[in-house]
Amino acid sequence: MVNDPNAVEVKTLNFFYGEKQALKNINLDIKRNEITALIGPSGCGKSTFLRLLNRMNDLIAGVRLEGKILLNGMDIYAPEAESADIRRRVGMVFQKPNPFPKSIFNNVAYGPMLHGIKNKHGLNRIVESSLRAAALWEEVKDDLHKSALSLSGGQQQRLCLARALAMEPEVLLMDEPTSALDPISTSKIEELVMDLKNSYTVIIVTHNMQQAARISDKTCFFYMGELIESGATDQIFTLPQQRQTENYITGRFG
Amino acid sequence: MKANNLKKRKYYTVAVFALFRLAALLTAAALAGIVLFLIIKGAGSISWDFLSQSPADSMTKGGIFPAIIGTFYLTAGAMLVALPLGLATAVYLSEYARPGRINSIIRLSVANLAGVPSVIFGLFGLAFFVTKLGLGISILSGSLTLALIIMPTIISASEEALKQIPLSYREASYALGASHWQTVFNVVLPAALPGIITGSVLSLARAAGETAPIMYTAAVFYTLHLPSSLFDPVMALPYHIYKLATVGTHEALVPIRYGSCLVLIGLVLGMSLAAIIIRTKIRRNKQW
Ligand SMILES: Nc1ncnc2c1ncn2[C@@H]1O[C@H](COP(=O)(O)OP(=O)(O)O)[C@@H](O)[C@H]1O
Ligand SMILES: [Mg+2]
Repeated sequence: MVNDPNAVEVKTLNFFYGEKQALKNINLDIKRNEITALIGPSGCGKSTFLRLLNRMNDLIAGVRLEGKILLNGMDIYAPEAESADIRRRVGMVFQKPNPFPKSIFNNVAYGPMLHGIKNKHGLNRIVESSLRAAALWEEVKDDLHKSALSLSGGQQQRLCLARALAMEPEVLLMDEPTSALDPISTSKIEELVMDLKNSYTVIIVTHNMQQAARISDKTCFFYMGELIESGATDQIFTLPQQRQTENYITGRFG
Repeated sequence: MKANNLKKRKYYTVAVFALFRLAALLTAAALAGIVLFLIIKGAGSISWDFLSQSPADSMTKGGIFPAIIGTFYLTAGAMLVALPLGLATAVYLSEYARPGRINSIIRLSVANLAGVPSVIFGLFGLAFFVTKLGLGISILSGSLTLALIIMPTIISASEEALKQIPLSYREASYALGASHWQTVFNVVLPAALPGIITGSVLSLARAAGETAPIMYTAAVFYTLHLPSSLFDPVMALPYHIYKLATVGTHEALVPIRYGSCLVLIGLVLGMSLAAIIIRTKIRRNKQW
């Protein structure tokens, strides 16, 4: 299992909101230390898929899942799997920056503190290294006790990234993390994501095809709840195998 | 024809808004009128002695210090009891209780509690806290009775404040592996605190101003001593005013009466102000 290059394996996944099927027969392997981009028109199920990987959809009533999702070999929907445990191992950055209305320090320390790290020294170290990894340290190191809400949108999103990284997750999920940001903040986040690849497995939803092309190794195209095509990003953008993929990336719909 | 219609509609709009504005102004004027009236009638009797001395010569001289202290204790006591209980109820109702029979029964009770006349609380306090539990006419009995009265306000204010917390905060917390309880306790409650405090300010004023509930449970017209324990009765401003207005006919009582009213209003506004300052501090720092 240690030699298995896949961080995530999705096997014959079907997912329903009540009667409505949102994902149909998805099979996908996601390699460790790669950036995988999920693209497709809005409403095709990208967020739904992403939120299945850290069991965020558990919070919605009346949902049903068939199939399996393996995280480094472990079935995350097995009866003995704890959702809180899975979420600790799979970090998430949301579409809109959502820092807690707490200080910058407490935002980053929130996760580690929840999971029992209490000593000041250890927390200081985690906060600093996480903020460095999110390229925010230099900007905020003198203001760690200021409210996170005083930061700009782009800084807030990097803070949310630092907050997720503080847990040292095995996989990092990002759901259109730059859609609420200006171009400069967006390119900062993109650079960061590419740097993270060395230590993390990143799955990123984006509606921006240039972004997918710029930063990802693999690209998966979703359409109406189905995974139409997945493969190396270069190949998807230059030689798509499916008509629907080609239509989408050439902008004929979506 | 069309232009005419438009014109008509415009006049109509202007008229309606004028009416609304009038209503709003009337409300403001009522408050200003009351305060002004009290200042004119009562400001003359306000002095350092009036605030810091005990009454003398059958209330015709001296100050109202014991009543101020009594009202302060009763109000603080009521808040101390009602705030945690009300908050706990609100958290239970909005975060834990599944919609169902028990939930509706609790909600219905809370709503109806808010509608019970305060004199009935007073009688209940007398029967239950004073007599049955044997707490006597005391700060404790009065505070508990007042606490019952302000609970519904605190509960609904807290529920409202909890509801305002965006889902995105909860999601962020869950996504870090927090449990429901951890999320409520560490994220939702602190974020709702300013709103909870704001809502509770109203009940604070109510607790300070009520007469009927403390009449049988806590207040006395005159005591020689300041209270030394929770089991002592106290003088209290609203009761003092009520007594001065109904019992005494002495000329000298009139300014003292208005002076007491002014102090009561000042106390309530002061406590509200303090709450607002605390809230702003919390909002600014966000450092919990
Ligand atoms: N909580 C929900 N309840 C019911 N249906 C939902 C819910 N969330 C999403 N859906 C539906 O599932 C489909 C996929 O949505 P989503 O995963 O958000 O798409 P995307 O992120 O690709 O825009 C849509 O048709 C959407 O209406
Ligand atoms: Mg989406």
